[in-house]
Amino acid sequence: MTIAPTFSGWHALVLHVPDEGTDRLARQLRLLGMTAEVKWAPLEGGGAQADVVLVDADQGWDGLFPWPVGGAPMPLIALLQSEAPGRIAWAIAHGARALIAKPIAASAVYPALVLAASLHAERQITATRIAKLEERIRLRPLVHGAVRALQDSRRIDEDAAYAVLRRAAMARRLTLEQIAADIVAGGVPLTEAG
Amino acid sequence: MRRTIRVGILYSETGPYASIGRDCRDGADMAIAEIAADAELPVVIEPIHADPAGDPRRYLEEARAMLRVSGCRHILGTITSLARKEVIPLVEKHDGLLWYICPYEGFEANENVIYTGACPNQHLIPLFDHLLPTAGRRAYLVGANYVWGWEMNRLARELIGRAGGTILGERYLPIEDGEVDRIVADIEAKRPDFILNNLVGSSSYAFLNAITALGARDPAFRPDRCPVVSCDLAECDLGQLSPGSAVGQFSTGPYFDTLRGEANRAFKARVAERHGAGRRISMFFEGAYSAVRMLAEAVATAGDDGPAEVKAALYGATFATPHGPLAIDPRTNHAALPFHLGRIMTDGGFEIVLSRPAIDADPYLTVDRTTGSRPQLRVVS
Repeated sequence: MTIAPTFSGWHALVLHVPDEGTDRLARQLRLLGMTAEVKWAPLEGGGAQADVVLVDADQGWDGLFPWPVGGAPMPLIALLQSEAPGRIAWAIAHGARALIAKPIAASAVYPALVLAASLHAERQITATRIAKLEERIRLRPLVHGAVRALQDSRRIDEDAAYAVLRRAAMARRLTLEQIAADIVAGGVPLTEAG
Repeated sequence: MRRTIRVGILYSETGPYASIGRDCRDGADMAIAEIAADAELPVVIEPIHADPAGDPRRYLEEARAMLRVSGCRHILGTITSLARKEVIPLVEKHDGLLWYICPYEGFEANENVIYTGACPNQHLIPLFDHLLPTAGRRAYLVGANYVWGWEMNRLARELIGRAGGTILGERYLPIEDGEVDRIVADIEAKRPDFILNNLVGSSSYAFLNAITALGARDPAFRPDRCPVVSCDLAECDLGQLSPGSAVGQFSTGPYFDTLRGEANRAFKARVAERHGAGRRISMFFEGAYSAVRMLAEAVATAGDDGPAEVKAALYGATFATPHGPLAIDPRTNHAALPFHLGRIMTDGGFEIVLSRPAIDADPYLTVDRTTGSRPQLRVVS
């Protein structure tokens, strides 16, 4: 990453009993151009107003969040003093992307934000890619079906049929799976494909 | 009864950037002497000097001795960010206050540090606001091989990229390394519009000498056609250059010896009494001087030298300095600082060619770097 990330305009939600440490944390977040809200109550209504959530992993419980475990729609940062494995596991399960050790040092805040935001963005890209790949795997039988149909109707081998399918998909700006589905459903006459 | 407080003065007066360290120490010592002579101030400062000779480990050892053995709660010192970042955890642990007066690369706002040197929105950004439209946008970046050089060049890359410019080269040298020939040969081949110099100490001097020699061979590398711009070069460095070297090149600072105004005229007269009329004052001398005065005044107001009490006395107060009124922002612990662009003159020293009134520090650059409001520059000569 060559450009220094900036968090100007972000809203941070700190889920922690307000104390001297959260005062320091909120001060540093505001210094970074963010707005910050400190509260110690379960989130309601999706909590989607926050761009980042910093949660007390020493005291946190699953019911704090309106989303399923691991489903935080924004970067999550754990605030942790304990070394108890169970507390660390809780933070991991909820998808914490970074850790700020308590007592909170102001200098720990920016690096944690950069790391959490970067990992969250990376995970989102990966999740999207996995969803696309899973969709393609799910639709593989359709591609096989279309290839077989083309082989039979044109008396060509599998490689040639596959090439026809690919050309048809490209010409129509569709994915291989979409054109295959059309062919199998009879939407595209076999003679016109490719 | 005047209260005596011990203050650690931690500067490398020997080693590769000794000329800066000596100016810092001299500035601090002058302030300490003036405070001692001012019977109206209820505070006397007893300095605990140490010279870590540019070695980061020795910074740590000396700072530890100041805090633990000498009982200092305040340390004025460190020049490089490397040394500052070594010392900070110790200062935090002992609940002390570090007074840091040098220009640095930003991205820090520690509660146990008072920053009176400029960060990038007070040096590099206003410099580029002026330089990129006038000198051109094809840049060559050189820097010291540690966080100052790396971060300054990273920010320069971002700013130049956003302005539609290009980086023709980016090279690094250790502080004490004078092997600049390969870098200068590369610059000669690439022919940039300007060079950003983030070298420090002896490597910077060797580089400026070599560029001056290159300019003598090829007019395309003279300062009017390919300026070398720095954000940390000051009067105390000029004496380390070959005679006539770097004339016409540029540097930035909140203070230059040539600054006009009654405050600086009176300050220069007092420095001349102490050090002779030939002494050119750098931002390091003036910065250390002003920080010590500010510390003494804050302790006097607070009636205590505890860091929390001193910080409370600093916030909201305005201190008179040779470069003008100075205030510390309680959000960032940084000083608002004026920006001056200086051009090196034939007789040493800098001629101020451009100035901007005090700019609030934005150490994390939260203001949008492309659309942020930019006050108009004022050409002063």
